[in-house]
Amino acid sequence: MGEITEFLTLMIPAMVPFLLAAQGTVLSGRAGVFNVSQEGLMVLGAAVGFLVSFKVGSNVVGMAAAFAIAGVFGLVLAYMTTQLRLDQFVVGLALYFAALGAAGLLYREVIGVTMEPPLIPTLEDKPIPLLSDIPFLGEVLFDHDLVVYLAFAISVAIWWFMYKTRSGLAFRSIGENPKAADSLGINVTWARTWSTVVGSGLVGMAGAYLPMVYTGLYTEGMVAGRGWLVIALAFLGGWRPHLVIAGAAFFAGMEVLALRAQVAGIGIPHQFVLMLPYVATLLVMVFAFRWARQPSFLGRNYDRESRLVG
Amino acid sequence: MENPRLEMRGIVKTFGPVTALDAVDLVVGRNEVHGLLGGNGAGKTTLMNVLYGLYRPNAGEVLLDGQPASIGSPKDAIAAGVGMVHQTFLQVDNYTVTENIVLGTDVPGPLRLDLSDAKARIRELSERFGLTVDPDAVVEDLPVGVRQRVEILKALYRGAKLLILDEPTTNLTPQEVDDLFGSMRAMVDDGMSVVLITHKIRETLSVCDRMTVMRDGRRVETIERADTDAEHLAEKMVGSTTDPGAAVDAAALGAVDAEKVEEILSSVGTTTAVAVRDLVVVNDQGHELIQGFELELREGEIVGIAGVAGNGQVELAEALAGVRPLRSGSVEVSGRSMGGLATSTWLHHGVAYVPEDRHRDGILPTASITENLVLGSQRSPQVRRRGLIDWGAAKQRAVDAIAEFSVRANGPATLVGDLSGGNIQRVILARAFARQPRMLILHNPTRGLDIGSTRFVYQQVRKATAAGCAVLLISEDLDEVIALSDRVIALYQGSRAGEWQHGSVDAYAVGRSMTGLGEARV
Repeated sequence: MGEITEFLTLMIPAMVPFLLAAQGTVLSGRAGVFNVSQEGLMVLGAAVGFLVSFKVGSNVVGMAAAFAIAGVFGLVLAYMTTQLRLDQFVVGLALYFAALGAAGLLYREVIGVTMEPPLIPTLEDKPIPLLSDIPFLGEVLFDHDLVVYLAFAISVAIWWFMYKTRSGLAFRSIGENPKAADSLGINVTWARTWSTVVGSGLVGMAGAYLPMVYTGLYTEGMVAGRGWLVIALAFLGGWRPHLVIAGAAFFAGMEVLALRAQVAGIGIPHQFVLMLPYVATLLVMVFAFRWARQPSFLGRNYDRESRLVG
Repeated sequence: MENPRLEMRGIVKTFGPVTALDAVDLVVGRNEVHGLLGGNGAGKTTLMNVLYGLYRPNAGEVLLDGQPASIGSPKDAIAAGVGMVHQTFLQVDNYTVTENIVLGTDVPGPLRLDLSDAKARIRELSERFGLTVDPDAVVEDLPVGVRQRVEILKALYRGAKLLILDEPTTNLTPQEVDDLFGSMRAMVDDGMSVVLITHKIRETLSVCDRMTVMRDGRRVETIERADTDAEHLAEKMVGSTTDPGAAVDAAALGAVDAEKVEEILSSVGTTTAVAVRDLVVVNDQGHELIQGFELELREGEIVGIAGVAGNGQVELAEALAGVRPLRSGSVEVSGRSMGGLATSTWLHHGVAYVPEDRHRDGILPTASITENLVLGSQRSPQVRRRGLIDWGAAKQRAVDAIAEFSVRANGPATLVGDLSGGNIQRVILARAFARQPRMLILHNPTRGLDIGSTRFVYQQVRKATAAGCAVLLISEDLDEVIALSDRVIALYQGSRAGEWQHGSVDAYAVGRSMTGLGEARV
């Protein structure tokens, strides 16, 4: 296996948490809800996904449970911002802490303190027949676990929904000018609510993927700031699903690079190597912010009877 | 009236303790342009927002074509055949004309959007009603007049039988106004009804079949066009019209033809108060929005700057007020060159500025009236004691100002952000006049004000010119500029595009120059 093939084969599954969480963030963001609780939802998703898988013995059920619990957090965010019109950032931060606390509590309640940490089976690779036989591409793209294919399918589906359908046209208008959308009979509250629930659910799934893909173990801190990087990724991709895919490749590539540099032992303290993705993010954002677009109403609540809006 | 298109009965709407609509009735017939006339704050827009489902009324009922209509949201209103064009356009800036128009409708393509039929339909509608637009243009690139046509097409595309237009002529040139009124006629001839919300009597007289006058949230009168005239409507709308300067005020308010007003407000002296030479000003993005601007103002003179918003008005006003640096050129006030001096020096030299965006640039909303009035004179001896501010004296000044400028407030400790637009403007004027200004810059000074406050502003301008102050009136309200100014200058893309003397102003010529179509007469 060539060096490049290997790098890309590792990069694709590493993209999955970024893809799922960032597409979820972009989904609600395009309706104007700026979720900042990703890190917490990913940690909670990882814990719940792991625990349910462990107890039930099915990764599929674990993943679904992670989606559901994060979706409930999303519902709270949607309710607090669309109905009570609380500040999105403040509610998001509160949910981040709540999710973080809930994750630790659940793990301790279900597993307790053990000498031997419990294990769940990792996801199996399911090569796609025929496609996986293509030289190079087959290996890199079509020989992964099912969640990898799902993450890419979801990305394409969200892009198609937003740019190719009638409801997508209406949906995007809410993040740009909710008053205009409202005046045309588009239900702002409903769109914000479902997109925040589904978007948060995807973030939870992104977290659940982590214990299932590499070690089969749940460890505290395994999300390692990916949730915060996801926010940067949404901005980097200009809140557009297709560009987010490219951005996810960049972040995942950095992550794999840092890991490999660590393994190769190039004489730099490994803490510095681990910083690589974050430093790269910072540098990219400095330049990306010059051109990256964002929805005009991102992070702002909408109140129909307010005389101050618009 | 037999079979009216719309009947609204006893509509009540309150916002907290404020009653915005007090049992208002409105009847609009078929094939009728109905004028809804009143000053700002009269409740016209609120009434129509109730009809359009944006506000829920506290009481009252709405009948459309004789059937009780329950309209809880704009969606219901659209389904019932009601369309509304708001004063601020409700458009998605980065969408195309077609995308904006079809938004929220059942265009083909739940799974794959197809806009070809929609485009054809938009072309057909725009031809039928004389509303020229390019369906593929992105709306943020379009001028105001065209964006308004997009708004109207949006309603027509949804099959509106009753179209509400909220102050549609704001920011249009006289030519565009004529085109709009032509389109309104075409709609009515086609079987529609149109409600025209306006504060300009002249407009209702030229296009409406019937009109309803509103004041303070109540309906004053509904009358046929044939049975009324400007004077009668002005009386219903404004109250008495006998005080000095009433003719000018009436013209500025759009009650009568501004061009025909002979009376002038000012008392032009012979001494040059302000001289602006070859002025270049850049905006926040570094673009030269004012290019080689020349202006001479004499003491007691009012010069009006007419232009479509975004042609450099903000930059010109800020540069002449000393809050935006001059890129090049000079500004002399009473013979002293002001370029490069600190804003406080401009203030001390008698430059007063009433900015366009009063909430953002004019006041500190969470500070009291006393504090807002001290701003800018915090170092003056009247409010200073041993190096600190003498709050007792400052408070006394505020009490005096509240009385003199008739500010409706609970006292000097009231937060300015809690005041209405008209009262905020009174506070700003009180501050501007506290130091006998030699040059007063007014930018859209009456926008959004009720009639009482509007006339108050004009009275203050009169007082200032009588004291020899030069006034620069920058306004997007052409009637106001023409009625008040000794000279009118048209501004187009940061340069002078024409100049007229009071009494020989042709609104259409000004309109052409404002849009770059006039012959340069600089």
